[in-house]
Amino acid sequence: MKRTFFAAALLLAAVAANAQVSYERLLGADREAKNWLTYSGRYSGWRYSTLNQINTGNASRLALQWAFQVSDLGQFETTPIVVDGVLYGSGQNDRAFAIDARTGRAIWRYQRNLPDKLQPCCGMVNRGLAILGNCLFMATLDAHVIALDTKTGNLVWDVTAADYHKA
Amino acid sequence: MEERLGLRMGLAASLLMLLMLFLFARVPLAAGGQEASSGDAAKAKAADAKEGASLFRANCSPCHGLGARGGGRGPDLTSGRWTHGSSDDEIFRTISQGVPGTEMPANAFEDSEILALVAYLRSLQPLSQALVAGNAGKGRKVFENAGCASCHMVNGGGGRLGPDLSRVGASRSVSYLMDSIRNPDKELSAAMSDPNNHYSVTMVYDTVTVVTAGGEKITGVAKNEDTFSVQLMTPSEELRFFLKKDLKEVVHEHKSLMPSYSESVLSQSDLEDLVAYLAALRGVESGNAKEAK
Repeated sequence: MKRTFFAAALLLAAVAANAQVSYERLLGADREAKNWLTYSGRYSGWRYSTLNQINTGNASRLALQWAFQVSDLGQFETTPIVVDGVLYGSGQNDRAFAIDARTGRAIWRYQRNLPDKLQPCCGMVNRGLAILGNCLFMATLDAHVIALDTKTGNLVWDVTAADYHKA
Repeated sequence: MEERLGLRMGLAASLLMLLMLFLFARVPLAAGGQEASSGDAAKAKAADAKEGASLFRANCSPCHGLGARGGGRGPDLTSGRWTHGSSDDEIFRTISQGVPGTEMPANAFEDSEILALVAYLRSLQPLSQALVAGNAGKGRKVFENAGCASCHMVNGGGGRLGPDLSRVGASRSVSYLMDSIRNPDKELSAAMSDPNNHYSVTMVYDTVTVVTAGGEKITGVAKNEDTFSVQLMTPSEELRFFLKKDLKEVVHEHKSLMPSYSESVLSQSDLEDLVAYLAALRGVESGNAKEAK
């Protein structure tokens, strides 16, 4: 019985922790300078951060603090999303990852298993993630849209957006 | 001279004896010949399995676990259940081409290496597990009532603290599932690892308690850790990251946050039903996840 209570308490705690990135937060992204909630930072698309720890005076003295290996060759053509200390990114071959932004340590990694013979126009790149609630959304090279759980990287759903054979 | 002749005759006589022995012995020897060659085949198989074992350890164990008993990502291959085909040809194809829609990649092995891997996996078959006696439908109810979903996700629904169980039936043996429920501390489940980095330390679902400089104690599941930092998920599914230089103490408890479901909490028949339900969880095919729900 005690254990049932314990489990119920965990469940309640989980529900309480559920509100992660609401639509209201996305709308008011300019009030969250420490976060980067959409591809361009906010809906106005300025790609401008009001943070000033790094500025024109010290930008030339930036030094490497950590490196994170995506474990694949290729290139990034994307902007990461940052929410409350977690950096969400995507890379070559539809990889996605969540890392501790301060240390570069991975929280989870996801890799899409892609079919052979894909010939996208501009390399096997991924152009970034979007976030809402507890889900990250990614468009894949085989023309699916998938949702990943922000905290675990688990696949939440996966739908076919188009037939990649016809590309 | 005489002596030498005698010696020679003696030699010839013994040669003749040997020849006769050989002739008489021919029939049984020939019959035994086949046994000898099948013995050779068994030896060759054993040699293949041995080579396969070392290939497996180097290439497959980061996901499938040492001894193929299942890891954080890859299925237990000793369960006797083959989700993607059980014939040698099918296993060969699974290894060489991977399984689209899962994390199993294609592999650039020589054919002989894949055959060795198949021989190794076949050599593990005697370890296959007991059948599930329970009722999966009832087990689903047990899963809901026992609060499992508060920490475990199945097909996109449920908690995040413990491992996702959407494919647990494909990846874990029945006896492992039984053990995990009755005694979660016995063998902590492996968590995220980098499939392309065979040298990384495998994280397990260990309980870690940190004590901050202010004396606050925070307990959670370690998601990652190195010399300088530790990343936790708390029971309320909060991600909390710490630099060790800011902490008074980091305690690895070497036990699971999951309560152990002893017989007083979960009867043997409920356990069997629950395991039958879990054993039937094989994930959903890519592209149909939404429709399947």
